[in-house]
Amino acid sequence: MPAAVEFTQVTRHFGNVRAVDGVDLTIAEGSFFAMLGPSGSGKTTCLRLISGFESPTSGAIRIFGEDVSTTPPHLRNVNTVFQDYALFPHMNVRDNVGYGLMVKGVSKSQRHEKAEEMLSLVKLSGYGDRKPGQLSGGQRQRVALARALVNEPRVLLLDEPLGALDLKLREAMQDELKTLQQRLGITFVFVTHDQHEALSMADSLAVFNDGKIAQIGTPEAVYNRPATRFVADFVGSSNVLPPALTRALGGPEEWASLRPEVTRLAATGPVTATVTALRYLGSGTRVVLDMGGTELAALVPAGQPLPEPGSTTAIAFDPAALHIMAGA
Amino acid sequence: MPAPAITQPKGLPDRLTALFWRRPRLLLGLLLAPPLLWLGVVYLGSLFSLLIQSFFSIDEFSGMVVPEFTLKTYAELFRAANLDIIIRTLLMASTVTLGSALIAFPIAYYAARFAKGRWKAVFYLGIMLPLWSSYLVKVYAWKLILAKEGIVTWAAGVTGTQSLLDAVLALPVIGGGSLSTSYIGMFLVFTYVWLPYMILPMQAALERVPTSMLEASADLGATRAQTFRTVILPLAMPGVIAGSIFTFSLTLGDYIIPQIIGNSASFIGMAVYQLQGTAGNTPLAAAFAVVPILIMLAYLGFAKRAGAFDAL
Repeated sequence: MPAAVEFTQVTRHFGNVRAVDGVDLTIAEGSFFAMLGPSGSGKTTCLRLISGFESPTSGAIRIFGEDVSTTPPHLRNVNTVFQDYALFPHMNVRDNVGYGLMVKGVSKSQRHEKAEEMLSLVKLSGYGDRKPGQLSGGQRQRVALARALVNEPRVLLLDEPLGALDLKLREAMQDELKTLQQRLGITFVFVTHDQHEALSMADSLAVFNDGKIAQIGTPEAVYNRPATRFVADFVGSSNVLPPALTRALGGPEEWASLRPEVTRLAATGPVTATVTALRYLGSGTRVVLDMGGTELAALVPAGQPLPEPGSTTAIAFDPAALHIMAGA
Repeated sequence: MPAPAITQPKGLPDRLTALFWRRPRLLLGLLLAPPLLWLGVVYLGSLFSLLIQSFFSIDEFSGMVVPEFTLKTYAELFRAANLDIIIRTLLMASTVTLGSALIAFPIAYYAARFAKGRWKAVFYLGIMLPLWSSYLVKVYAWKLILAKEGIVTWAAGVTGTQSLLDAVLALPVIGGGSLSTSYIGMFLVFTYVWLPYMILPMQAALERVPTSMLEASADLGATRAQTFRTVILPLAMPGVIAGSIFTFSLTLGDYIIPQIIGNSASFIGMAVYQLQGTAGNTPLAAAFAVVPILIMLAYLGFAKRAGAFDAL
């Protein structure tokens, strides 16, 4: 069976800027795939290449095995939840949701029935007569979702859909999106710059940096075994150790990553560090250390004694937790 | 010593700012009073006196205005000759509005969607430049262009399309001896002089339609034509209506173009000009002047009913 989406050496240039630079990517059918990266890393351009709003400068894109390089957006069975939702302000919620059916020529009664069904799927039954302007941000997001799902797409693209929501709502929507995806079995491709979101929701994810994919894999693999310094820093806020420091701490002379939550403070150790700051996080405290010019962090669980800023300390960790980054 | 928590007010600007902060409505009132006085007294006042005059009549023997309320003057509007003037003006204004809208839309769409930086400046300059020269100069220039011995006739001769021009001029009613003495010529000149007033509000409305909305439409399977009909046009409608208010009302009231271009058939503006000036029939002139106001009100009511302002 062909993959839901397949990129082969895809490149997209905007003038001199290589927004997407030689990306190879395979997204399995029925998976929840996240594209993670800082702004300007090429993740949104990749999403727009799938929806058809951008064309690749070179390379091939296949959707379920079909080459889509000459297929315009309206003929791709792929739908998008836009970052700003892009609801039509002059139509009520029912007509917004039914829009995809209307342009296909589906009769009004069928359209309304299907729109109502989609609205109940996103828990907005009875909101059909309202205008988008009368809804809260979270409700608009659900309407955008219902509108994108009404055409029963093979792939659903979500462009930072939770970015505008507050924390509580965002967490609730994360759970709901995940449940919805599992229930519908549609391939979801999700763009985000929030590593927590990507890690908690995706079956697999691609980390973008400078138009290239830095690493692709399951959340666990990406988090525990970052391939590059960039991934270690961006995805886990991991401590990145230069070769000399890794050596001094008992490892090989290679770049390595060490997660803050496995880094403990110790009275003695091979290398000492100065405590520069304490950041209270609620569930624990992040202790920022300066170890000979390298910034490190250790996560001290709540209830344990904390060092004074400015004091000298050492660190200890399970040697198995030290991840050597061959590709760094 | 730390800085004090409160700075003492220094001079009038500080005190005024403090006063306006305590009483925000005072500032609003001060800002609004001059324009409201201007609009309220000068504009509405003169409009009201116009309305009153239209209910007076003229004594047929002495030619003096009789300051008594009567509907006689309005009844005169319905005489065949006067009704012709109204219908002729209305048809011309509608055609000019439609023509302007059709020409303006692609230009406004280009400017709103595609023009960036320097090209945007070129667009604004191109639209505004004709407004910098006198209206009369433009109209007379057009008369020369459209005249029988003018550029259009010459160009038709050079390109061998004389027969086409003749066929156009041979059209009943809207044709004539030459373009400059026909309704077609008048339509061209009206459309030219009012076009900027249609383009600018249209462009402003189109600019407010986010690109993502057009992408959403395409994403959901709509063709370009469907997107245009169901998304772009409804969202641009307030701008189209705003522009059409300009072209429609400016054409309804104009009295210069019909005098210079066309076959000297009368229009509302010309009728007002002549009745008020040479004929000295101020009441009938006032009644004629009320007609465009009523037409505009009816037009706006119709546009509102049709949902043209839903996207506002």
